[in-house]
Amino acid sequence: MSIMVVDDEEIVRKSLFHWFKKYGHVVETASSGLDALEKLEKYPFQLLFVDIKMPGMDGIELLEKVKTEYPDTLVIIITAYGSIESAVKAMRIGATDYLLKPFKPDQLSLVMERISVQKRLVSQYNYLKGRLDKITRFDNIIGQSPPMEAVFSLIPEVAQSDSSILLFGETGTGKELVAKAIHAESRRSHLPFIAINCGAIPESLLESELFGHQKGVFTGATRARKGFLEVVSGGTLFLDEIGEISPKMQVDLLRVLEEKKITSIGSREPVDVDFRLISATRQDLKKAVAEQNFREDFFYRINVIMVEIPPLRKRKEDIPLLVEHFLIKYSQETNKKVDHITIDAMGLLKQYDWPGNVRELENAIERAVVLSKSRTLGTEDFSFIQPYGIEFTESLSLREMEKEYIQKILEENTWNVTQSAKILGINRVTLHKMIKRYKLKRKP
Amino acid sequence: MTSNKKSVGLVSLGKVPEIVLKVMADQITRCFKLASQILPPMGQPEYALDEKRLQYNAGIIIETFESMLFGDDHKIIAVLNQDLFIPIFTHVFGEARQGGTCGLVSLFRLAKNPDGSSPPGFLIHERATKVALHELGHLFNLLHCENKLCLMHFSGSIEELDEMPLHLCEYCAIYLQDKLG
Repeated sequence: MSIMVVDDEEIVRKSLFHWFKKYGHVVETASSGLDALEKLEKYPFQLLFVDIKMPGMDGIELLEKVKTEYPDTLVIIITAYGSIESAVKAMRIGATDYLLKPFKPDQLSLVMERISVQKRLVSQYNYLKGRLDKITRFDNIIGQSPPMEAVFSLIPEVAQSDSSILLFGETGTGKELVAKAIHAESRRSHLPFIAINCGAIPESLLESELFGHQKGVFTGATRARKGFLEVVSGGTLFLDEIGEISPKMQVDLLRVLEEKKITSIGSREPVDVDFRLISATRQDLKKAVAEQNFREDFFYRINVIMVEIPPLRKRKEDIPLLVEHFLIKYSQETNKKVDHITIDAMGLLKQYDWPGNVRELENAIERAVVLSKSRTLGTEDFSFIQPYGIEFTESLSLREMEKEYIQKILEENTWNVTQSAKILGINRVTLHKMIKRYKLKRKP
Repeated sequence: MTSNKKSVGLVSLGKVPEIVLKVMADQITRCFKLASQILPPMGQPEYALDEKRLQYNAGIIIETFESMLFGDDHKIIAVLNQDLFIPIFTHVFGEARQGGTCGLVSLFRLAKNPDGSSPPGFLIHERATKVALHELGHLFNLLHCENKLCLMHFSGSIEELDEMPLHLCEYCAIYLQDKLG
């Protein structure tokens, strides 16, 4: 738990600081109400121990401000001058408990135990609620920054129409999650959502996957198979890495979008199809069109509405929320009690630019939780995220930055392509293509 | 058998029966596999007496000891017969800071049962040894443990102290091994 002790007496601050350290809590102290509010702005402490009698802003005034601005923060009032009146007032405003100084050691221990049970229940509830929401809507798209608020407000709006949507965002920004959320908000939500990564499937196989085939049309086609364009019937088709598909496939898909009919491989009978298309790309398709690497008519057909998903470096204020979410998730999944992070470590995570975006952050937290030997993650648990040898200065283009970053990840993973692809959030085939495209070589 | 160059010094502050230190030294070797040594006694820490509370301020004693140089590999457990407190608590049986050098054990409240009766001598020694080993755990950076059957579980009353075993749970034992290297 993260705790702040607010008391004007240094010996009290010191005593409680050392006491809570014995439980592995993240502890900070503040000598006044104003000092406490300043520190709360920088770090979302979960629990405050507040003395009532302090010069300037007293404990009750601080409690009122905290409950208004940080309603999730719990406050325990401590005082040497207890009265029933002040206790009732504090509890009415929202204090979690009220303790008279000095208290018996087991008294504090009991209060902490109660809070810990309460926190655990809330965490479990939030986690289970999150798991439940995953099936329905907006789950795992975490953020309250203005760029994410803009995405959240767009989702229900664009979900209502049937127009094709193009999601544009860097790798790891959560494009598939947004696509799922749009599907869940749409009138098609009770129908299938099928996601296909175009970059991961070879051209010949992609055609058969999308359009289906008749029995015996090619080696291995031992029976007829319906394509996803037909299987999705009425639902949403999500085509990730749309920029990777061949010009021929672009023509084929364009025809499907215009005619709403498909003909499976080896058949002459067209079948009516009905689906909503959401595509995603991390490439600049406008540029690809200008360079004649992508068909203009197809681009305008799939890009009726464009939704841009911001990279994590442009919404760093969401990092604490995401960290908390992943800490709970991986503490539960690994059955390890690693549920705190130091202020310095959080600072480090906020400082880093996260070229692999939310997926890289999630991997970093998972790895830190798995390897951690203590309950609190510190800067030493994130030494692996320190960029070495690469400085993402403004002089690097996006393309150069991508190249440098892929090289870095490959070197870090001794050129294990499967592992590197997992960290980069792309599939092996795409990584192989990128290695070739950027002419990357193992450093001696 | 001890397998570590780290060692623990036991010192009495004022009058403390020598048998208490001997029992502690023996258990430190058994339980923590560390060498222990009884050091020459020191005087009662009058500098830490709080005249309003008529108790001894554990923080002041610890800070005094921590300012002395014992070397990185040496931890000190100081035992006294006086009542100890830290400013927020009415009393403490013992006190140490995470990763510190010196831990304190007070015998004052251990020589009485919750019902007011006097416990036999061996029980007082056992209680004092539990407090000493618990504080030593903090000096090696062990945290309070949620397992009630672990020496590092916090016990705020004599009943809880008596229920606490004289050994670490398997996780704390692993952490300790890790800290001792």
